Formats: sequence, C-alpha cells, structure tokens
Amino acid sequence: MLPHQDEKEPTSYRGSCGSCPVTVRKMPYLGSEDVVKELKKALCNPHIQADRLRYRNVIQRVIRYMTQGLDMSGVFMEMVKASATVDIVQKKLVYLYMCTYAPLKPDLALLAINTLCKDCSDPNPMVRGLALRSMCSLRMPGVQEYIQQPILNGLRDKASYVRRVAVLGCAKMHNLHGDSEVDGALVNELYSLLRDQDPIVVVNCLRSLEEILKLEGGVVINKPIAHHLLNRMSKLDQWGQAEVLNFLLRYQPRSEEELFDILNLLDSFLKSSSPGVVMGATKLFLILAKKFPHVQTDVLVRVKGPLLAACSSESRELCFVALCHVRQILHSLPGHFSSHYKKFFCSYSEPHYIKLQKVEVLCELVNDENVQQVLEELRGYCTDVSADFAQAAIFAIGGIARTYTDQCVQILTELLGLRQEHITTVVVQTFRDLVWLCPQCTEAVCQALPGCEENIQDSEGKQALIWLLGVHGERIPNAPYVLEDFVENVKSETFPAVKMELLTALLRLFLSRPAECQDMLGRLLYYCIEEEKDMAVRDRGLFYYRLLLVGIDEVKRILCSPKSDPTLGLLEDPAERPVNSWASDFNTLVPVYGKAHWATISKCQGAERCGPELPKTSSFAASGPLIPEDNKEREQELPDSGALMLVPNRQLTADYFEKTWLSLKVAHQQVLPWRGEFHPDTLQMALQVVNIQTIAMSRAGTRPWKAYLSAQDDTGCLFLTELLLEPENSEMQISVKQNEARTETLNSFISVLETVIGTIEEIKS
Amino acid sequence: MIHSLFLINCSGDIFLEKHWKSVVSQSVCDYFFEAQEKAADVENVPPVISTPHHYLISIYRDKLFFVSVIQTEVPPLFVIEFLHRVADTFQDYFGECSEAAIKDNVVIVYELLEEMLDNGFPLATESNILKELIKPPTILRSVVNSITGSSNVGDTLPTGQLSNIPWRRAGVKYTNNEAYFDVVEEIDAIIDKSGSTVFAEIQGVIDACIKLSGMPDLSLSFMNPRLLDDVSFHPCIRFKRWESERVLSFIPPDGNFRLISYRVSSQNLVAIPVYVKHSISFKENSSCGRFDITIGPKQNMGKTIEGITVTVHMPKVVLNMNLTTTQGSYTFDPVTKVLTWDVGKITPQKLPSLKGLVNLQSGAPKPEENPSLNIQFKIQQLAISGLKVNRLDMYGEKYKPFKGVKYVTKAGKFQVRT
Repeated sequence: MLPHQDEKEPTSYRGSCGSCPVTVRKMPYLGSEDVVKELKKALCNPHIQADRLRYRNVIQRVIRYMTQGLDMSGVFMEMVKASATVDIVQKKLVYLYMCTYAPLKPDLALLAINTLCKDCSDPNPMVRGLALRSMCSLRMPGVQEYIQQPILNGLRDKASYVRRVAVLGCAKMHNLHGDSEVDGALVNELYSLLRDQDPIVVVNCLRSLEEILKLEGGVVINKPIAHHLLNRMSKLDQWGQAEVLNFLLRYQPRSEEELFDILNLLDSFLKSSSPGVVMGATKLFLILAKKFPHVQTDVLVRVKGPLLAACSSESRELCFVALCHVRQILHSLPGHFSSHYKKFFCSYSEPHYIKLQKVEVLCELVNDENVQQVLEELRGYCTDVSADFAQAAIFAIGGIARTYTDQCVQILTELLGLRQEHITTVVVQTFRDLVWLCPQCTEAVCQALPGCEENIQDSEGKQALIWLLGVHGERIPNAPYVLEDFVENVKSETFPAVKMELLTALLRLFLSRPAECQDMLGRLLYYCIEEEKDMAVRDRGLFYYRLLLVGIDEVKRILCSPKSDPTLGLLEDPAERPVNSWASDFNTLVPVYGKAHWATISKCQGAERCGPELPKTSSFAASGPLIPEDNKEREQELPDSGALMLVPNRQLTADYFEKTWLSLKVAHQQVLPWRGEFHPDTLQMALQVVNIQTIAMSRAGTRPWKAYLSAQDDTGCLFLTELLLEPENSEMQISVKQNEARTETLNSFISVLETVIGTIEEIKS
Repeated sequence: MIHSLFLINCSGDIFLEKHWKSVVSQSVCDYFFEAQEKAADVENVPPVISTPHHYLISIYRDKLFFVSVIQTEVPPLFVIEFLHRVADTFQDYFGECSEAAIKDNVVIVYELLEEMLDNGFPLATESNILKELIKPPTILRSVVNSITGSSNVGDTLPTGQLSNIPWRRAGVKYTNNEAYFDVVEEIDAIIDKSGSTVFAEIQGVIDACIKLSGMPDLSLSFMNPRLLDDVSFHPCIRFKRWESERVLSFIPPDGNFRLISYRVSSQNLVAIPVYVKHSISFKENSSCGRFDITIGPKQNMGKTIEGITVTVHMPKVVLNMNLTTTQGSYTFDPVTKVLTWDVGKITPQKLPSLKGLVNLQSGAPKPEENPSLNIQFKIQQLAISGLKVNRLDMYGEKYKPFKGVKYVTKAGKFQVRT
C-alpha cells in the first residue's frame, strides 16, 4: 500500500490492514490500478501458471476483488488464457469472470468463445453444462451465431443437467436477438421437450417458451399438455409445482367432468408443506371453479389451516404476505376467520408491518361473539410505545364502532383520559368520522370532548376538534370558550387549514349561540381579512363577511346543513365483494398493495414513486376521514351567481339525491380522457362556477374515485351525474341521469360538463 | 423471475450482488434504504417495496437483508420462500449465515447462487443435491485442498440429478443404516396479567435424518394421529395413504429433511409448562419502580424445564435496573432497554426469582403500560401435545435399519403480559 493513500483516506488504509472488515470493501477503489497491475503480473508469471494451486489462488483473488466492485476488466486477456485448463474450479471462476466483463470487452470475449465451444463437447457433463450456461450468459452482441449450435446440441444431450441448461439457453438466445423473430423450429423442439424424462427440463421448457412467446401471449396450454403436466406434478420440486400451477391457470377444461377430475388430482397440493404451492393450488381451484361458488367456499375452508399456519410462520415476511391474503378473503367471507381471532393478536416482538396487518384483520373479523375480546385486545395496543401502532389501533376501534358503537365510544372516551397527545388527536379524528356515520353516538361524543383541546397539537387533530365544536357546539357547554382560545392564538397558528376550519366552525356556532360568539367572530374576521397572509383563508374570511352582510337567514340557509349523513357511506366500496372479483389477483402482489394501489403503481410506473408506507396507507383507507375537511362544508355552499341555463340548486340533500339517483335510468354515458393526479377541490370549484353542485366526492387519491353532481335548469329539469375515475383505464367515466327526458337540454348539459372537465385536464397538464 | 439479488448488512452496505439477467444498477437499492430509514428500526422494513421499474422483495435474516429485484408480476410467497432457502443453504454450508462467513466464502457463495438459479428460475435447491455439486468448506478439506490442490467441486455429475425421484439420489450406500426422527414442538402462547391463557397453540415438526441404502419405502405410524390438526407434508409423502389410514408412507430423501409440520390448536390440549408470578409497578411522580418476577413449573408432565431465558423490553423512561436474582444471571442494556435474565433450570424446591428497583428518568410521566415478558425454555424427552410415534416399518430393502425417535418441546413466541 502506498503511503500517500494514508493521507488521503485514512480509513481505507486501516481497512487494508484488515483491522476493520467493513472498510475493506472500499479500499480497492483507490488502489485499483496497482492491484490490477500486480494481478496481471502474477497471472502472466510462468512459475505461477505451472503451479495449479497458486494459479487458482490468484484467480480467486481476481474474483474476490470483482465481487467487491473493483474494476478488474484489465486482466481480461490473462483470464481468457486461464480458461484453457482441466481444473473445473478454475474454469468455473474464469467463466464467472467472463460473464461479468464480456459486455465491456466484447472483442476480447470472442477469444474465449473457442475454449467455451470446445468445452461444450467435453466428455464430462458438468463441464458441458457449465460451458453452455456461461456462453449463454455472456450478454454481448454477436455471440448469438456462436451459441446457436451448442444450444441445439445441448437440447439433445444425454445428460439432463445439460438439457436443463440448454432449454433455458434458448430463452437467453432469444433475448439476445432482441425479441424480434421467433424461431419456429426451436419453439417446436421445446414443445416436444415438454415430454422429457427429467422434471426440471419440463419446467424449464415452460419457463423458456413463456419468455420466447411473450409477445404472442406466452406458452399455450392445450388439453394434452395440461394433462401431461398434471400427471407429472408429483415428480416436480416445490418451485416447479408452484410455477406449473400458475401455467395451468390458462387451461380451460372442456367439461364439468374434466374440471372435477383436475381438481381431484390437485387436491393433495392444498396440503403441501410449501406455502407457495398451497397458494398456487388455491388460486387454481378458485379460478377453475368460478362457476361453482360452493366449491370455492369449500376450498377456502380447506386452506384455512395452511394459511393460518403461514400467518404464524417463523418467517415474518411469509406472515405478512399471508396476512394480506387473509384480509383479501375476509372481504368476501367476513365470518371466515372469526373463530380464529386470537391468531391475529399481536405479540410485542413482531415487526410493525405485521402488527398493522393484524389490527386490520381483527377489525374485519369482528362479530357478536368475539367483539368483547377483540376490543379488549385492541384497547391494549392503544397505549403501545410506538405511536404509529397505537394510532392504527385507535382507528381500528373507530372502524369497529360503526357496528358496535356504544362499546367503542366508551373505550375511546377512556383513552382521552390518558391525556397523551398522539392518542387524543387520533381519538378526536375518529369521533369526527363517527358522529357523521353513526349520529346516535353524538351525545356521548359531546360529553367526552371537553378538555381535549389541551392535548392536541397537530393540524389534523385540531381540525377535527374544531369541526366537532362548530357542528355540535350547542351541546357542548364550553365550546365557545375553547374556540375563543383558538381565536386568541390564531396569529401563531401555523396551519392554514386549521384557520379555515376555525372560521367555519365559529360562524356555525354563532348561529346557535350568538351572544357568546359575536365578539370573537368579529375579531377573527377582522384578523383574517386584514392581517392574514394566506389567500385562501383571507378569501374565506371575506366570503363569510359578505355572507353575513346579506343577512342571517342567508347564512343559515348555506351553513346549516345536515349534521350527519350516514348515506354518504355509498362513497365507500360496496361491502359485497364476490370471490370471483379477486380470484385472479390471489397469490400475486395485488393483495399486498391493494388492487387500486397496485393498478396505480403498474400503470404509472416511473411517473410516481410509491414508498414503503403503502401497506399502511391502504390499511388506513377504510378508517380515515370520509371526506376532506374542506369539502364537508363546501359542498353545502351554493353558488348564487346567475347562469344561462342552470340555476343554483336549492336544498338537494344527499338523501334525496340518492333516492332520485337510484330511481332513474342512465340517460347518457361517455368517457373522457383523464390522466394522473388532480385536486378534487379544483374540480368542485370549477363546477360551482357553472352552477353544478357537488353532492359528494371521494377523497383525493382514492381509487376508484367517485363524485356525485347535481344541477337543475330553469325549467326544473334535474341532471344527476356520477363521475367515476378508474386508474386502470386512465379515463373519466361520466353517467348522467335526467328526471325529464329532453335530449337537447341533456346535450347542452353534457357539453358544459365536458368543457369544465376538459379545462381542468388542460390546467393540469 | 428473480432478476438480481443484493445482500445488505445492517449498516447499509451492499456487500454482495448477483445478476441472473442483465445487470441492475446498485442504485435500485436506494429505494430500499429509503424504506429502511423510514422504518427507523431495521426489523420494520416492509418486505415488499415497489420502485418505478422493479419490485424489491426482501427478507431479513440474521442481521442481513436479502433483497431480490423482480421485474414481472410474481407470486410473492414463492420469492420469499426461495430467499429463505438461499439463506438456509448458506447456513447449512458455512455454519452461520453472517456477513463474515459470506465474505470469507465469497467464491462458494457465487458458485451456489449460480447453481440455485438459472436465468432467474430456481433449479437445484435441495441441500443433498447441491452438496454433491459443490462441496461445503471444512477446515480439514481446505487443508487437504491446499496440500493436494484438489477442489471443493464434485468432478462427476451428481447422481441425484439423474434419479427419477427428484428428492432422492440413486445408488445410495451406507455401511450403517440409520433412520432418526426428531419430534420438535414449539408452544406459542400469550398469557394475560392474571395468568390465564389468552391464546395458545403448538407448532410441531418432525425432522428426519435418514441414512438408508437403496430405495427404502418407509411407513411411520402414530399412537394418536388424530391429535394433529393441520398437517403439511414433504412432497415424498403419499397423501392418499394419510387420508385413508393416518399413516405416513414415503420413500425418504437422503439425509436431513423436514417430514411434516403440524399444528395443535384446540385450547384444552395445549399445556402451559411454566407460570410467572410478577409484580411490576411504577410510582406516580417518582423516579423509581419495583420489579419482581418468579418462575415456576406448571403442567410439565414431570420433566425438567431447562434453558429458561426471560427477555423484557422495558419502557423508554427506564434508565437502569438494580436487581438481585436467586439463580442465573441478568443483564440490562440501557441503550436498547432490554433486560435479559438467563435462568437455566427450574428446581421446584427453590423457585428462581429476580427482583429489585427500577430507576426512571426523573420528571418523565410514568409508563402507561407494563412491559411483556418473552420466555424461552426447553423440555427434553417430551412432546407437549402428547404425540407419540408408534412404529416405523421399512419395505423394499432387506437390511435391518437402526431406528430412533427423540422428542423435545420448546417455547416459541411465548409471551406473558404484566
């Protein structure tokens, strides 16, 4: 080691002394040239070449440096020479080296081809296989012409080891050709090799054909092939079994009889020791039996055991994926795992992602018998050291509260008593969603609220609390005083969303308790209009100010909306999800990500990066707030400007909307192109301009995203519209219903709608 | 299927990479590191991560991450299982699956990875077949190799590759024919504050070590096969025979393998062999607390419980612990807040206990929740479910093999809440 390197990079010098194994890896980057020079000299040294052992040691050093990321391409010539040896280890090492550097030195690599070709006809099948595999992995242009003949010979080799290599070599050769042409003769040869003695050759044929025929939809599984594979199943190793099960999904049995024959043959694989095979077999059962729901249910009952075993497997990763699949099954068969609920209790030492999945599962399998125990368990998690996990548990209790309201509200109320910031904020958010969906718990929630304000610091929590105080303020004695505190400190408030919420809440409370609120409302409006720097807040302040000038009745008409509306549950996914709707996603990555999310990822790969928090976001989706705060009130604000044709719609409640919507037929349906992300608020604002009222819409980013709109023209004709955004199609589906059939007004309404959506789309891009 | 594999240690160094198709740049691991950073604790890195062009499926084993790069839709369980198999193979070859062992044997590691996957598809993963392709390193062999210049690679094609039964090689010969079975049961349980069982289950496996010449056909029967709830089988077992007669009939692989794994989950059948008396309390507005636990035998079927270790993750506000123990030794790590008590055996005359004071950070609020105790133990010569092997018969060969069955019960995820 040269001394000057010591000055440059002391750690690397230390590393070279071997005192610190971690830095050894980094050391050679500096001394690279010298190391290469030294190794080159050693490789050329005839004395070393003569001594088999020393020669091999030098080569091993080259490989070692190579794997440590050091550029060793400088000794390529010498390494090629070293390949001409009878020593099989040396050959292996040199081949490994060549596969790594051939793309960098294609001209030199051609020199090695000769030796490799010769090795392909070596009497030792190991050498033949090794040489063929290395040749196929060279990944350099022009190598195709040299490998074609050895591969064809390899396909007919008497040693199965060589045939296995040759079959996969076909796929590698095809890739080198640039996927352009498919060699028909080769494909036929591979199809005939499906009858090979060796089970791995058979599976490799399938893998190879699948890659070669990618553009034509992959390998074709016809009846003879399907039955041949089924009969060979028991001879395959677990990887082969899992893959063949996957290929068999393509086969469509001709008759019911054949179908049940196949299912009988596959029965034992549901009990395999490999979870991968069990899942593969389950999926095949579900798909084949798609017309026989009782068979599907039966299969799901039978894999319950293996699936539960995977859920408590030693491997945490297996547990995680199995839990994701359990959730998938629960969507269709809610009671399926209810008696095993204790399986999903979290233990302290489990990693987070497993705990979060388990909580989610617990939330879904709750029934009358286990609700007490499940809630007790979840209650324990709420005080977990990890704030994230505690919050997930609280949201889960909130989810259960939609069915078992009283018990849950009591637990949540007790949690407030702990006076922990991270707990209080989530509890209050849960309460907000709960009073909206289960109005019967409003009284209990209102009693629990006083005192919370001391333990809330974050924006989400404050918004939720202020919203509750505004909407249900008349039942909470000290509501005005709590809001007054917020008004006092509004100057130091950092979140604009909180200020917006505060404005609305205070105005609402003013309507029910004017005496206590008038003064501070004045102060708040003054502050927002005169001093506030955030445009949106200032505009909101001005808007309310002008609204108040119009008169108190007008304010009431606009702000006093229904305080709760469970019918908005229609925005959430329908509860009924038949097995067939997800059977094709079973045993893929979809259950891990959630279908909607998966579609987004696979659609705009490259456009958007989805971080590791995916499982978490999807798990919160059901329990998060139903509608963004801003929308909640905005949807009740009516546009009051005049319009050419559409009039501002009066008092169309969500309830009435839903009734009308369900009773009418779709008058018009069309799709508009729509790409990427957008802000629902923008759309809502734009629609408001043309007097189309938004009844309800999903949160931004939800998939599928939905919105319900209504509008009325001056003759009283109602237009009800549903916007549906499914990311898979990258287009917006519009369905319009009309209570009086009039084509010309319908057409002009649609053109208005088109213009609005078109404009938004343009702004976006 | 599996495009590339990266091995990453806890400090975030990629110390090995292998590509089966085109080379994927190391920068793809940045997404993994990002996730690792977000997860705070290495244990919490999610196993599936998506990046713009790839999916990263990873496992965490022995302080190492095995990160595989996937480009097409795959069954996730398949990949995870395979990665574990890779880790198992390293463990099998080098005695441990650690960064040092892998670096020391980097050449063998590459040879193994080359044989285990081709073009991204799993090929040879059975340990006994791999060992014929690539001989594991031993001290003796490396000495011999360095003297004679011979290698750790088999010169001839392994016979197992040619056999029609994928799990057994042809022409096996032993001078001593032996068949051993280990019945290993692990108790997973959650015990609540008052000592009653919240949840308990036995996860059992039967591991076999078979060294029999030729093509023996074995059948193994149990005294009480109905005990077994959910059984998964090694591919060698004839499933129909089990369905009809409850007998395990099979041509065994050569060497070590897992014959079956099973669960016993009906609550009343799961005996809990130890109990813990505990009183852990933190005083309000004071910087200390009391800690007192005692362990005793419960339903131990008259066998000695040994190898007991108690691990407790104390709350963050705990600064230090001053404890005295009647038996064994304890350590408390003030950084990770983990208390470990190595107890050893329980002698019923004098029950082991650990008690003393807990020092808390002054001024901090008292912890909301008491910590849970994780307990490890072992009972030799007992399968806690009561499972018993009745007999083992061999057909197809003439010699008389030596047979043996051992039983052991261990704690799995055994947790006592306080």
